[in-house]
Amino acid sequence: MSRALIDFIRGPMFWIAAAVFVCGLSFQAWRFFRLTRDKPRRFTDAPAQSKKSRAERFLQRLGQLWLGCRRSLLGRQPTLVVVTVVFHCLLFVIPLFLWAHNRRLKDALGVSLGSLPEALTHFLTGVFLLCCAFFLLRRILVRQVRALTAGTDLLTLGITAAPFLTGYLAYLQWFDYKTILLLHMVSGELMLVLVPFTKLGHMLFFFFYRFFFGDEYSFGQGSRTW
Amino acid sequence: MVVDPAGAVNREQVKQILERNQAKMKYYLSHCAHCALCAESCFLYQAHDRDPQYMPAYKVIHSVGELYRKKDKVDRALLLRIKRIVWKNCALCQRCYCPMGVSVPSMIAFARMVCRSQGVYPQGDAEGEPESWL
Repeated sequence: MSRALIDFIRGPMFWIAAAVFVCGLSFQAWRFFRLTRDKPRRFTDAPAQSKKSRAERFLQRLGQLWLGCRRSLLGRQPTLVVVTVVFHCLLFVIPLFLWAHNRRLKDALGVSLGSLPEALTHFLTGVFLLCCAFFLLRRILVRQVRALTAGTDLLTLGITAAPFLTGYLAYLQWFDYKTILLLHMVSGELMLVLVPFTKLGHMLFFFFYRFFFGDEYSFGQGSRTW
Repeated sequence: MVVDPAGAVNREQVKQILERNQAKMKYYLSHCAHCALCAESCFLYQAHDRDPQYMPAYKVIHSVGELYRKKDKVDRALLLRIKRIVWKNCALCQRCYCPMGVSVPSMIAFARMVCRSQGVYPQGDAEGEPESWL
């Protein structure tokens, strides 16, 4: 592969991918607000005055929280919830606090975030890949999920896992280091570009729905409606 | 406008309906993560031994999704398949929950509207079908 192409992937391509990521997500957010409208406020939304003491209200809230957890996805599918939370946390934590990434950032911009120890990020990447394997197995083995699974779902999972897998291999220096590193950069940039235009955009809409829509699992009454 | 329920599908009319609602429906379809978390919110799914065909996501993918995939080639056979999904497999009770905010009931209602525009809907005893599928 030519030197110019490698330099392009290492340099400008990253910034192009980041720009597409930011602009794409902004467009999707605009689209969300365009397709939804303000929810008219009803007089029944006003909270009633409670005659209970502070302690009674606190205990009542605790009981509701306990029941809510039991009836929610956390109570019914705890393994899935734990793996999902770990997966999504590591999806951000690993790239942001990896020493190698922060070193590149410092070289480029003169600033960087704090870095986690390399042994820890290596371990966390392994955990992340195990989470990806869990999702893959879920797609193949669970009847309900298998009924909905299309090729694009597997591709999306692969695109998400690829930067982490190639980064893991590059750290271990398995296979040709430069090739794996190039694949790592390309797969990371590809993921950034695809986030706004595939179902990976749920990184935005999951929170939009939780906070803007009034639903049984939302926070608050919600201010938007379809 | 009189619609012949056994006649050819007015593809132009169907296409116009699909294009009028395209922005929202395609938005919903593209944001479905195929996670199957909506399944347990459907009482019909629970009542039918957790048959995947009753999952809200399955219903919309195989009704509205099919309509948009076959936009110019919608035929009566497809509408009859969709009729079974959106009337038999769904009570439009609006109990279904989607963590991504996809409004499943509005998609099912939309699919019903498309079917009705071509005279495809449950017709009780006329076709030897029971009055209610529930």
